Amino acid sequence: MQKILYLIRKEFLQVFRDKAMLGIIFVAPIIQLILLGYAITTDIKHIPLAVCDLDNSSESRELIRGFKHSGYFNIKYNDRNKNKIAEYLDAGKATIVICIPADFSKNLQRNLKTNIQILVDGVDTNSSLIAMGYANEIIQSYTSKKIMESFQSKPKLARKIHFVEPEINVWYNPNLEAKNYMVPGIVVLLLTIVTMILTSMGIVREKEIGTLEQLMVTPIKPYQMMIGKTVPFAVLGFFEVFFALTVAKLWYNIPIVGNLVLLAMFAIVFMFTTLGLGIFVSTNSKTQQQALFLSWFILIFAILMSGFLFPIENMPKSMQYLSYLNPVRYFITVVRELFLKGSGLANLWQQGVIMLIFSTLIITLSSIRFQKRIR
Amino acid sequence: MNKRLISIIRKEFIHIIRDSRSLAIVILMPILMIILYGNAVRLDIKEIKFGVIDYDNSQKSRELIDKFIYSGYFKLVPIPQDRGEIQNIFKNRRVKSVLIVPTNFSKDLLTKSSIPVQVIVDGSNSNTASVIINYTKMILTTYSLTSNFKVLKLPLFVEARIWYNPELKSVNFIVPGLIAIILMMICALLTSVTIAREKETGTMEQILVSPIKPFEIVLGKVIPYVFIAFIDGAIVMIMARFGFDVPFKGNIFLLAFFSLFYLYASLSIGLFISTQAKSQLVAMMVALLATILPSVLLSGFIFPIRSMPVFLKVITYLVPAKYFLIIIRGIVSKGIGFSILWTQTIFLFLLGTFLLLISMKRFKTKLD
Repeated sequence: MQKILYLIRKEFLQVFRDKAMLGIIFVAPIIQLILLGYAITTDIKHIPLAVCDLDNSSESRELIRGFKHSGYFNIKYNDRNKNKIAEYLDAGKATIVICIPADFSKNLQRNLKTNIQILVDGVDTNSSLIAMGYANEIIQSYTSKKIMESFQSKPKLARKIHFVEPEINVWYNPNLEAKNYMVPGIVVLLLTIVTMILTSMGIVREKEIGTLEQLMVTPIKPYQMMIGKTVPFAVLGFFEVFFALTVAKLWYNIPIVGNLVLLAMFAIVFMFTTLGLGIFVSTNSKTQQQALFLSWFILIFAILMSGFLFPIENMPKSMQYLSYLNPVRYFITVVRELFLKGSGLANLWQQGVIMLIFSTLIITLSSIRFQKRIR
Repeated sequence: MNKRLISIIRKEFIHIIRDSRSLAIVILMPILMIILYGNAVRLDIKEIKFGVIDYDNSQKSRELIDKFIYSGYFKLVPIPQDRGEIQNIFKNRRVKSVLIVPTNFSKDLLTKSSIPVQVIVDGSNSNTASVIINYTKMILTTYSLTSNFKVLKLPLFVEARIWYNPELKSVNFIVPGLIAIILMMICALLTSVTIAREKETGTMEQILVSPIKPFEIVLGKVIPYVFIAFIDGAIVMIMARFGFDVPFKGNIFLLAFFSLFYLYASLSIGLFISTQAKSQLVAMMVALLATILPSVLLSGFIFPIRSMPVFLKVITYLVPAKYFLIIIRGIVSKGIGFSILWTQTIFLFLLGTFLLLISMKRFKTKLD
């Protein structure tokens, strides 16, 4: 026990002596929290719009005003030259173009069909889909407004129309703020990166400089060495989680509805997985560079397939099955559900069981490997 | 080309090839990334799980529900017909939204002018939620307009045409963008880590006491990685074209030419980091934070810059990937050329030169 304590103390001393390391442990989370909290706004606003109004009547201008006042679009160009429109799309100066035909107001007055053409830059799939949705909505609401106006003089007809009106209630995140979803995810990301990379690098650095051999000739047993090498980073990982939670609560004002003790319990289970992965990486690398690359390799898979940025339910089936092999997937679900919905063990026990299996498996296998390698 | 420079390049190449694990990862990483990103990232949202509580249970209500199912956007999941259960259903993540059809729906449809239908959305993922809201409104408005077709005579038809990527395939958006990320990763990460390694193991001092000039060291260290970056870029391009059927509309030589500017800027960042970092761990962490994270998040790779707050928008001007993404997407997807894209290269050139000058200066002062 004493030996382990010495090792832990040594490891802490090493971390705190390196100023650059400290910077990474304390500054990196702040940068990540700011970047991820603010940069990921999936709400699409200020879509650059070009209008090609061939009619130029009071009706067409009213429709254009609808786009302007919606708040979704910035009207950048109003050009009657159709060739110019192509240039705007090519150069990326406009994402969407509305073409109002010359007979727009005439047809409207005579109740004739009118086609309004929308050209969309389809390169950015998500933005273009949403922009098209908004444009449709604006044109449809213009249509229903015109209908209502035309019915004012004909109450008989008005009685014949029946509109289904959506009454939409959004739960858990009523203002639809992306940060409420992203910031809890960052907690998981920080914990994963800090525990896995620091553990693996810590061990491999000693290998590379040769001090690991010095440790091996001392009477310290391999398991003691492993505990001594992982506990400090587990503590640091816990600190990062605590720090991220504080920022989430105080800076981003994210409601934490769920039970924090439960969250801590899940975090401990999860940490065995990441520490185990760290040890696994260290047993497979001779140099720090190799350890970095290997960690990277694992992280790219772990982050992408976790649903952190891209929801798993949108992925093709084969990729969804693949994501079941990713321990991060379960923890990220737990953290988000706990934060936003206040879900309890009753809703999350399945994730807990799977996480427990993963962590036992990974920590056992990597310890066995570590013991073998060290002898 | 002088001899000293060539021997440094050779030495670095030998280093790279001898470390077979690192080399394997440098080649495998882009392949893994393109396979994962190309297959997993779907930006269009389809088959959203939704539940219905149908208090009316009539032919009319089922017609309305069918509109949701046949739209292709929603997938019906059976749920208990009880309003009080919704909380639990959301917590168990069984559905993303619940449509509640009121009692008397079919009766009201004949008598009232406005029939409210309640939709409850799980808002935890704001993006998915806003897409659900969009789709729901669209389906209900279309339903209203078509069911009143006989009375209404004022149809405005929206004729949407999608340019460049008419099927709205996410792959066509993501995969060319990935090249920007991968090139940045290789250039910034590898250069900064290798120079830091020489410092950490003490071999840097040995090189410095030799008659090699600083710029020769830097150039010698950098050129092998430019070579690797080009190989990786080529691998990704070939996989994109033949593995994922991403159409290539522009001129490939123009793209290669523009890539040089991007590599120049990325390598300058890598050098800049290496002059600051003493250990590989620090170099790697800084490279991660200062290059890869911004290249993914602040470049418009996936998240549109125009939606960001102003202070982040200002920062994006310092992210080389932002310019290169405009270039690569312009060339690959739109087939546009030099006349539109030349401004981006100027930014890249200025950014690279600025960082290079600073790091050269720092490199020299360290020597004296």
